[in-house]
Amino acid sequence: MIPDRNPAPEEFEGLSLSDQPPPPAEQYGLYGGEPVPPPPPISSDGVVALDVMGRFRKAAKTLEPGELIKDGYFSLMDSVASIEIMDPKMDSGCLGPGETLEEGYDVTRPLRAEQVIGIIDQLLCHEMAWHLGYPLSQTLFTNVYIEGILMPMPNTIEQADFVRDQPGHDPMLAVLRAYCLGLLKACYHVNERIKGEHYYEEEDFVTNTYHRSLLDRIDEAAIRQVITNARTSLRSGICTDTLLADALDSRLRLREEFLNAIQLSEDRNNSADSIKAPWIELEQILETINRSHALGTSVPEAFSTKIQRKLASTMPPRPIVQLRFEDTYGHFKHMFADGREVTDVLAYTDSESLLNFVLHFQAKRPQPLVYIRTLLQSYLFKDMIILGRLSIRHIMDDDLSTLVLPASPLLDPTNDAFESAPHSPQFQLANRMELFRQRAAQSYLDVFRAICQNRCRIRRTLCHSIQDWENVQLDAEEVDQVLALETNEAAMSWPRPTSPPSHSLSLSSWAYLYKLKLMQWIVQLGFELDIYAPDELAGMYWYLSLLTRTRSQHVQRIQAFAEKNVREVLRTRKLSEEEEMQFDRAANYWRGSLLDAAVTCQLADALSSIYIVLGRLGLVTPPPRPYSTDEMRYNVRMKPFGVIGLPELPTYETFKEAALQPKLSVAQLLDAATSALEGAKRGFKAMERFDEDESFARGVTYERFKADLAGSHKSAIAAGLTIMMLRKALGEKVSRNTETGEGGGKELGLKVEIKAPSQRYHECWVVPGLVKVPSKDSGASTGN
Amino acid sequence: MAESGRLEKLPAELRYIQYEHGLESQYLPAIRALISKDLSEPYSIYVYRYFLYQWGHLCFMALDPTDSSLVGVIICKLETHASHSPMTLRGYIAMLAVSSAYRGHGVATALVKRAIDAMALRDADEIVLETEESNIPAMRLYERLGFLRSKKLHRYYLNGSSAYRLVLQLKPPEIERVVEPALGEAEVSEVVVAAS
Repeated sequence: MIPDRNPAPEEFEGLSLSDQPPPPAEQYGLYGGEPVPPPPPISSDGVVALDVMGRFRKAAKTLEPGELIKDGYFSLMDSVASIEIMDPKMDSGCLGPGETLEEGYDVTRPLRAEQVIGIIDQLLCHEMAWHLGYPLSQTLFTNVYIEGILMPMPNTIEQADFVRDQPGHDPMLAVLRAYCLGLLKACYHVNERIKGEHYYEEEDFVTNTYHRSLLDRIDEAAIRQVITNARTSLRSGICTDTLLADALDSRLRLREEFLNAIQLSEDRNNSADSIKAPWIELEQILETINRSHALGTSVPEAFSTKIQRKLASTMPPRPIVQLRFEDTYGHFKHMFADGREVTDVLAYTDSESLLNFVLHFQAKRPQPLVYIRTLLQSYLFKDMIILGRLSIRHIMDDDLSTLVLPASPLLDPTNDAFESAPHSPQFQLANRMELFRQRAAQSYLDVFRAICQNRCRIRRTLCHSIQDWENVQLDAEEVDQVLALETNEAAMSWPRPTSPPSHSLSLSSWAYLYKLKLMQWIVQLGFELDIYAPDELAGMYWYLSLLTRTRSQHVQRIQAFAEKNVREVLRTRKLSEEEEMQFDRAANYWRGSLLDAAVTCQLADALSSIYIVLGRLGLVTPPPRPYSTDEMRYNVRMKPFGVIGLPELPTYETFKEAALQPKLSVAQLLDAATSALEGAKRGFKAMERFDEDESFARGVTYERFKADLAGSHKSAIAAGLTIMMLRKALGEKVSRNTETGEGGGKELGLKVEIKAPSQRYHECWVVPGLVKVPSKDSGASTGN
Repeated sequence: MAESGRLEKLPAELRYIQYEHGLESQYLPAIRALISKDLSEPYSIYVYRYFLYQWGHLCFMALDPTDSSLVGVIICKLETHASHSPMTLRGYIAMLAVSSAYRGHGVATALVKRAIDAMALRDADEIVLETEESNIPAMRLYERLGFLRSKKLHRYYLNGSSAYRLVLQLKPPEIERVVEPALGEAEVSEVVVAAS
């Protein structure tokens, strides 16, 4: 189905098709308290007005009903954005018989404390629905008190009130007003933060405020004072029931602390503890709010879709989003915890630990909300100063030294000091390295930025990034060759003494390593997002195994050349303490990377073999697919990788051979899978002993690294159980002379169960489960 | 999808006809009614005319032969896809609906097949569509015909649900490869076996 969105382009919002003079703008509330702009001059010497209605009507009469007159730029999205005037389902201005535009709700009526709690808790639900991606028009802007504060637009704190021009205030209404002011100011900050970073409008979040100002002109200190006053009045006995008074107070505290959290997170040079403090406070206040929720009485009439009619939008009327309080509570709980945890990114140790922080943080379930994700982006990149204190060069050099160039003269910061001697070799090196950094910086930072997106977008973005990295690699190669000459680097034969001698090609090796990692993530995200059909899994796990094998081989090459280069340095001098540290760090990285590649490769190999067996036994059967061939689908599946020169995409014939393994029997495949699983499990055990330095995962990331590893390890164990069940069933039911086991699954009385991603031990490892069934209805089924 | 009120057997062989502009007054109201049933928000008439006026030949209707009433409909378009290099002629299945009483008898599949045939005849390179991730019957239908999920689209619909893009490749794509980097010269060696 085409998307049912109604993307009204901003520039059309003011257009009116009516030939009547427009009513005064304040009637629409569009301009709030501001002076109405004068209408454009209709007549002047340069303008000759001509009434075309007669001609238009005449021309229109020659058309058949349904004939479409459009220019070439009228797109599908334009047609989806169109509405039919006076159709009540599309035209939000259309009034039913006897219906009035005005709400008829009296915002000045006194409220009991229970009702204020009820309204506030409903506002909490709407605030969260907005965070989750629903527009303000269907959430907070459906509330009559919010509307009363925002319209007409207030210019002073006194005007920011739903009860205006009336001396004195019902104290309960003052509490509600204070809450709303704190809420709206927070929404303003959240909206600005999100707009300032990379996110996808409508998909992640809707920033549209429909020409309403979220109190951006009202001084924050004044708003805080209103909240303080309301809290004081609660203590002075406006509400005699202390339970109710406490419940209201905790809701006002939530607003205060949320503003604190926002304010402190704006400056990354605040201490991590001080940035964390309000988030911790918020987590506690939320519990109090949750406990007192039952005290509230809901006031549903304080919320209405009718307000949508006053918003500057061509949107059809849409229902109020109903998020349950329990769910709202759950989402806020995650949000506050994520707000606290994301602060840890500021504790920088090295580039690889930073990348792992972002990777693991974004892999949390549920994924952090877009506000937190944009907060993370701002911590990382704001003003192009990484984490508020590091240059891009700093983390790039850290990365280059960790991955490919430990203790290398190329990264020696003293090279810069030769600026005054432009012909010195050191200055030449510094210069070339700087040019390379400038070339690669964007691609490198984009990796971090990409991982901050929603899971679907990460995969889609990476599909483009790998082409970018291929270009970085090619450009880096030119720099590498010049550097090899200028540093008189000795060539080396690798991997065999008989291999043609080559230079280290460190910079292009670095780029190639990123490309390989990104390609691996694309394939793994495919499993996580349930992109692949069950009969594709054998082939996709084989491809994952191929990619990790290639990465493993590449890391071995990097290590061999880096070690050779360090040996050359050692011939003339000892390594400095800093160089020693760099080399140790790189050695940790290579070991971890090789081990990670090995376990991924082996578990992928095992699963590939298992799926081949399931296919042979008829337990996973491809659908008929009369319009497609295996080769065509291979082209579609591998499209992102087809444009990549290195590693070259395997030909379809190679892939087919690997995904079917026609030369191996079922028994041989199961043996191969078993031994691959054994290797993987050994590797997981070794990685489970990694400390924070070895895993490049620190603090909370280290816990996530362990949990992730445990999930993979359990997947390997589960795969072993599947093999056991298969062996047992085959041993029992299939006569030993059917060597291939072809189509024998029906007699095994087994059925394959493929779990939905959230039910797997690890989302990237689709371990097939086997369940016993009466032999009649065996076959593959998906669990979602 | 309403299970109740479903026909055990189709009353008779349904009639499948290609839409044409002359049928608008007879069938457009029924088409809109049938498709709107599953939508939270109706498409305006322009959306229907956008497709039907330009690509009526890619729209097919299933009719009950007894009274020629509309049982099912598929609406498509076929255009060059500009953001691609090389340019591809991309078919797009925009809407597919079958009256609930007639579901479970392959009407939708028959409609999709006619649309694919019509687009293939007009030289389409590929056919794409989106379907809600929770719409398992629709995905099964397309996947049985040869469509593949190519990407997942986060919160694609107004109700907040995500979608899958499904693709059916009809012609082999042309792939331009870039030059081979020097690191490609080394041969693939054995993977390091996990140390314990």
